[in-house]
Amino acid sequence: MKANPKDVNTGVYYIDGDVSSGYGALAAGCKFVGGYPITPSTEAFEAVCRRGPLVGAMFIQMEDELGSIASVVGASWAGVKSMTITSGPGFSLMMETIGFGAMLETPFVLLNIQRGGPSTGVPTKTGQADMMQSRWGSHGDYELIAISPDSPQEMFDYTIKAFNLAERYRCPVMIMSDECVGHMTEKVVIPPADEIEVEPRRFYDGPINEYLPFKPDEDLVPPMVKAGDGYKLYITGLIHDERGYSIKNEEYKFIYTKRLVDKIRLNKDKIIELKEEETDDAEVVVVSYGISSRVAVRGIEKAREKGIKVGSLRLVTVWPFPDEKIAELAKTIKAFVVPEINYGQIAFEVERCSHGEANVILVPHGGAGVHNPDDICDAIEYAAKEKKRIEGVIEYKTKLEKLVFEEGYKLHE
Amino acid sequence: MNPIITVFSKGIEKSGIKPSKVSVPSDIPFGSEVVNHLGVDFFHTIRGRAIPFGTGLKLGNPALKVVPFVGDLMTLGGNHFVHAGRRNMELLVICVNNFVYRKIGGQPAPSTPVTFSPYSTFEEPFNIPHLGNSCGAVYTARWTALHTDELANSIAEALNKQGLSVIEVLSPGPNYYTKIEDIESNLINFYYENSVIKNGEDPKNARITPEEKIVVGKFTDKERPTFIDSYNAQLSKVLGDKFTPYGGKNG
Repeated sequence: MKANPKDVNTGVYYIDGDVSSGYGALAAGCKFVGGYPITPSTEAFEAVCRRGPLVGAMFIQMEDELGSIASVVGASWAGVKSMTITSGPGFSLMMETIGFGAMLETPFVLLNIQRGGPSTGVPTKTGQADMMQSRWGSHGDYELIAISPDSPQEMFDYTIKAFNLAERYRCPVMIMSDECVGHMTEKVVIPPADEIEVEPRRFYDGPINEYLPFKPDEDLVPPMVKAGDGYKLYITGLIHDERGYSIKNEEYKFIYTKRLVDKIRLNKDKIIELKEEETDDAEVVVVSYGISSRVAVRGIEKAREKGIKVGSLRLVTVWPFPDEKIAELAKTIKAFVVPEINYGQIAFEVERCSHGEANVILVPHGGAGVHNPDDICDAIEYAAKEKKRIEGVIEYKTKLEKLVFEEGYKLHE
Repeated sequence: MNPIITVFSKGIEKSGIKPSKVSVPSDIPFGSEVVNHLGVDFFHTIRGRAIPFGTGLKLGNPALKVVPFVGDLMTLGGNHFVHAGRRNMELLVICVNNFVYRKIGGQPAPSTPVTFSPYSTFEEPFNIPHLGNSCGAVYTARWTALHTDELANSIAEALNKQGLSVIEVLSPGPNYYTKIEDIESNLINFYYENSVIKNGEDPKNARITPEEKIVVGKFTDKERPTFIDSYNAQLSKVLGDKFTPYGGKNG
């Protein structure tokens, strides 16, 4: 289905990633946004509040993030595409309801503009340390989808994709962006509506009395209905059967949990999007996502100037993780270099999937800034030279770390 | 619990609203499959979030009548309740107050005037209709589970109110260590016999204490613009013709 022309503000803009994501949401047909202002995601919420009412989208500034995410799950069951926007502390508050959304197989999109943490951290500066939280944050077994855009243009494009995936697989989708991309101002081209592909909600169209809210189609995703249409819905966060009624036995727990994870795992090939460059004859591959992939471009260039064969694998989709792709590359290369603004999250996933066939070098960053491309280049150089197989993740010491910890840098002067 | 659902069903019938247009989000303490047979849509949400979930349902489809059945109202849901009142969100909040955490062993709740816990309770309980009234609810009432006709009338009235309505229903909640049948029938009669109907009473005078008779009745019935009314009025004022007022089915 094509986007509704009313929802799309076609044109060429010079805007930041936050605003671009807000426009993307409306172009995807989002009609409800429940949010709570938090730096550095506020501009996205403001963009929706400004433009939303002109295209029939409702916004509400809730009393807290607990309320905003709950309202989003509610609005989705009322039949509209819905979204919430937040950052670190708000993201933590939302966790219980994210699991609830996954359990109810509710399509919605969550935009997380990551900032430096933990706790209040550095509200105005960047971080990439919520990646594991987006995967494992709520209690219990579930799978969801996370996307990590790296430019304002991608914030527009991938917000639409996030809505499409949410509707397609009836699950929460996280856009795991960060402060740098959110506040980066660049040219954004918003295409005409007839060039934007939009996934409509998968509504049930059979006889009303035969509807079972959790009876899956062949691809393991059940079609949905909305409140108020006479389906006498019974929807619960307890483990439930196809009718939605809670069933507390072990067998049903298996059946239900398995489908909840399998509907994402078995459809992985259709969900995952990667951007791969010059990996064919590479001896080192840089695995990156979000803002770190923008910085890595320069690091890779520098390494190539030194004659090192280095490829790049950019994770546009971070969850589900591309296990097979990493395993396949591990067989042909010497090492992976993983720059990320944390002390090791995705690097450990890369190590898990490389099955000991390639070294994994983490280029860490404490947050509140981005990597120095020289560090990425140096790590690539080290990776290409290292002949030994080293177990586990090798933590590369960056220039800033050496300066702070070894060269007597005085923090307060 | 089930008698209240029967009364709820009567209330919907009296209100003239189609059950299929009624959505009932609840929080954890209230998870009865019986509701399903009334023909409404039922959502058993998580602790304390029935009101914001209901807010999303209402704003997603303003044609729905949303009736949060709540038990964690004054704890996890306290802030949501306060803000629903401030905004005058169009919800009918039915708080089934059994004075206790019944399902998990009988711990005191923030609405507990006396308790079965080892050393009793010493905290001041919330006066729910008073709090609702203070926050801006347009309709507040309290009944016991045996005031079936009065309760059904209140539900019918509140379903047709524009804005936040709050009905507190006192219902027995024994803990695990008592014979449930005994205490349920005794308590329900005890509440009924020890209550006094004072319609129009200022809810601040309707505190529940072990010493005095329980004041029940319809306390508040007033008019205020709802959230959607205010939203439409303000945006129409600012945006003029560019804005289509929100409401009806999906705007």
